[in-house]
Amino acid sequence: MLGHPSHKTPAPGQPILRWNTRTHSIAGIEAELARIWSSVSLETEGDDGEPERRVAPRSSVMNLVVIAGRSEIGERIAAIVEGLTGRHPSRTLVVSQADPDGPAWLDAQVQAHCMLPRDGAAETCAELVYVTAGGQAGQHLAGLVAPLLIHDLPVTIWWPGEPNLDSPATADLLDLADRVLVDGSAWSGDGLASLVAMSRLPRRFKVEVSDFAMLRQSRWREAIASTFDRPAMLPFLGGIREITVMYAARAGSDGRANAIKPLYHVAWLASRLRMTCVNPLVGEQAPWSGYRAELRQGRRRIDVVLRPEESASPPGTTLSVRLRAERRRDRLTVAVTAQAEGVTVLATLNGEAMPERRFLGARRREGELLAETIEGAATDRISSSALAMAGSIIGADSGPATVMTRANA
Amino acid sequence: MAKAPAKTKAPVHAPKRAPAKAPPTAPLKTPPKASPKPPLQPHPSHHPAGGGQMGEADETMVPAVAADALSIRDMRLARDGHRKRRAAPARNPLREGLRLERVPDPHTMVIFGATGDLSHRKVFPALAQLWRTNLLPADWMLVAVGRRPYDDDSFREEIGRSLDQWSRVPLEPEAERQFLERIVYHRGDFADDAAFDGLTKRLIEIDHAHGMPGNYLFYLATQPSAFGTIVGQLGRSGLDHERHGAGWRRIVIEKPFGRDLDSAKRLNREVGKVFRESQVYRIDHYLGKETVRNLLVFRFSNGIFEPLWNRRYVDHVQITVAESIGVEERGAFYEETGATRDVLQNHLLQLVSLVAMEPPATFDADALRDEKVKVLRAIDPFTRSSVEQNVVRGQYGPGWVAAQPVKGYREEDDVDPLSETETYIAARLQVDDWRWSGVPFYLRTGKRLPKRASEIAIQFSGVPHRLFADTVTDPQPNLLAIRIQPDEGILLRFGSKVPGLGMEIRTVNMDFTYGSAFSVDAPDAYETLILDSMLGDASLFTRADEVEAAWSIASPILDAWIDEPAPTLPNYAAGTWGPEAADALIERDGRRWRRI
Repeated sequence: MLGHPSHKTPAPGQPILRWNTRTHSIAGIEAELARIWSSVSLETEGDDGEPERRVAPRSSVMNLVVIAGRSEIGERIAAIVEGLTGRHPSRTLVVSQADPDGPAWLDAQVQAHCMLPRDGAAETCAELVYVTAGGQAGQHLAGLVAPLLIHDLPVTIWWPGEPNLDSPATADLLDLADRVLVDGSAWSGDGLASLVAMSRLPRRFKVEVSDFAMLRQSRWREAIASTFDRPAMLPFLGGIREITVMYAARAGSDGRANAIKPLYHVAWLASRLRMTCVNPLVGEQAPWSGYRAELRQGRRRIDVVLRPEESASPPGTTLSVRLRAERRRDRLTVAVTAQAEGVTVLATLNGEAMPERRFLGARRREGELLAETIEGAATDRISSSALAMAGSIIGADSGPATVMTRANA
Repeated sequence: MAKAPAKTKAPVHAPKRAPAKAPPTAPLKTPPKASPKPPLQPHPSHHPAGGGQMGEADETMVPAVAADALSIRDMRLARDGHRKRRAAPARNPLREGLRLERVPDPHTMVIFGATGDLSHRKVFPALAQLWRTNLLPADWMLVAVGRRPYDDDSFREEIGRSLDQWSRVPLEPEAERQFLERIVYHRGDFADDAAFDGLTKRLIEIDHAHGMPGNYLFYLATQPSAFGTIVGQLGRSGLDHERHGAGWRRIVIEKPFGRDLDSAKRLNREVGKVFRESQVYRIDHYLGKETVRNLLVFRFSNGIFEPLWNRRYVDHVQITVAESIGVEERGAFYEETGATRDVLQNHLLQLVSLVAMEPPATFDADALRDEKVKVLRAIDPFTRSSVEQNVVRGQYGPGWVAAQPVKGYREEDDVDPLSETETYIAARLQVDDWRWSGVPFYLRTGKRLPKRASEIAIQFSGVPHRLFADTVTDPQPNLLAIRIQPDEGILLRFGSKVPGLGMEIRTVNMDFTYGSAFSVDAPDAYETLILDSMLGDASLFTRADEVEAAWSIASPILDAWIDEPAPTLPNYAAGTWGPEAADALIERDGRRWRRI
């Protein structure tokens, strides 16, 4: 339906499309957005055919800008955002680029999605604008996005694909943003080159960076932390000697896979335990050898090993995190291993196994991660310091754009 | 790639360690030789999990009070409870910022009264939700203890049916199967030694079979009369003993905690003979409600309200806990209880303490509860004459609620036709401290009132000077209303100019509702509280001294009523806002109850 509100009464918790219209200019989008909320008849039709519920006005907690790249990604993202309407109503702009070498053009679909939080409550509504820009129009993202933002609300930019963080157009866009969301585990190759650029963002712009790859590790962190909750185990955090992370790679390959998740495990531990990087991450030359780095905590050196392992899991998935720690004559090993529905922790103290613990938790979907990011603190110190440490471990502090291998180091 | 520097100049920080010793505090005065009280001997089994913290150093932490004035229980409370200053435990740096809820240690939960109504309606559904959301440890077992003749399978079927009826969110079939698999049934009478010996054996078997470390959470969902017996049996069986370094033991006790001050002290004494105060979790489910927890957030995370939160700006406070239902099938229970014991002594006084407390220095359990106890102790104790002046009781007669005719209290099942039990109480309290002196707190609770509504209203004082003297309507003073249920939210009332050429002022509301702001289901209070007890977080549980302080306020009211003739009962019709005397109570001060 173009330009007219739907009158159906939605079931609680189910988003319903209340407005859908199309336009071909920024001014047109602005006009349509204004028209949705100035419409006189935002009422729903009751069982007896009489209007019975007034639709609540727009409620927005933020501007969400999704740089979809391709339109099919945009559709997937839109479905996620619609599901969050009731919980985190936002003005969402899904921007796709097309035909970069052609003439400049713009096509936009303006929608209002509403949700009934519960029976008897007023609906909450949010706007979703799909913008597809062709030619030069698609290259100037900031110019496209800036006029459509609701002022005084935070701006989150979500990059579901691989961002080109070094381009001037991206820099203009990041100037508008308060937070950037990425998924490092979806980046091509080992992902470390993009991570170098991303780890520098907080210094270049006033943005908070959140990576779904890091958020997905919550259950792993809970499992690792639990080992050291016992007072007798806590001092071993000052005596870690080795951190080894095994990650999945495809059979028949040379073992190369996205290394972002395994690196984040190390970065989180290192940042929490105030380690510093002595020798940044170096890729081993031989196939299936992975990476090595060296950290320092006090006077102790800590060996870091990231090693691929043949697995049917998606490449880059963490298979296990192993810690070896020493304190006086005592030796502690901790192995956290991925299971079908969670992780298992097995610790041994001087060779004697401690009771095994399992932590359940299914893999979280993008919608849940997005909700968690929105609900989280504006400044997430833990993620920020882990990200900075990841940058330090791959040598982003000192300038290289790629992680070296033994051959070219 | 740039070479790594040979020597890193970045500062190196070793993780912080726990201080080796507790800070020095005032020494314990030497008891006089003539004292009949035996010297305090710390029980060897009562060392906290951390070990080594309860030795000589702790003895010096008991405040300087004449020892002959202390019972063993008092000294134990002093040693274990709020007065103690423990060395701050070393913190796990990996815990900081973890976003997921912490998962409790593997443990076995034991529910006494597992076949009862409370267990079926509240406890099992809450546990099932925690399981469903992966907040229970994977290594978790539940032993349901009851007198009825079930076996494991038939009891699981029974719980399955209860979950279908009472679960907040329906369980996925696989999650329900996994949850029920973890439940075993143990039949036994609470007074039967053999039943507890069998329970002990079964718990050890579960530990061995599942490689569990011997952590037990005991949950008393029984009649209060059974509390003492069960606690005694747990002590006799040694199930209260925490092993050094591993194996915690905790006990959760449902309200009511006694029926007056004496019985509350007696119950605390019985529990205290077996469990240390730090092992005891007394549930008042009101404290687990999301809006009640938000009260702390609202007060202490918003800088603009706290400066106004005192006698200088607040005229009075009204707290209402209204129910539209009657006693339903609980006539016999209510005859023994009444509104004072059922709501005022616990829920209402908890709300008073949360509203009136000073900001705690830290958000840990004892700091929070210390501040709450201070409020209860600052409330002017009632005397016979002040009860007559400041307390009104009522009982509902027949009437209409929600357009339905309803019976009067005396016509309810299992209720004495000449009953004098109060189904309504209104009281005027004074919190006599620096912050609240002179600010009355009006409390009311009742059954068969026109609607179900719980609310805290902070009525601010009026403006000191009437600037807009020519306006037709006087601007009303500002009001902040915190709705606890239903329609949870916060309302701020203020005056605004009516658009137009004149200068008319109208009161408008700025209304925040949880439902529309978050659109997510809050966890049930039992989910919150059970998880907290598993994690060892006692912040939302009432401490022994808190219970006794609350009874010190409620008991004199009940005592006064024993001696005074009751007013003519029933004195309010079902579906009205209580007896006229309650209106007179507040109108005498030139104020009125809020229309909710």
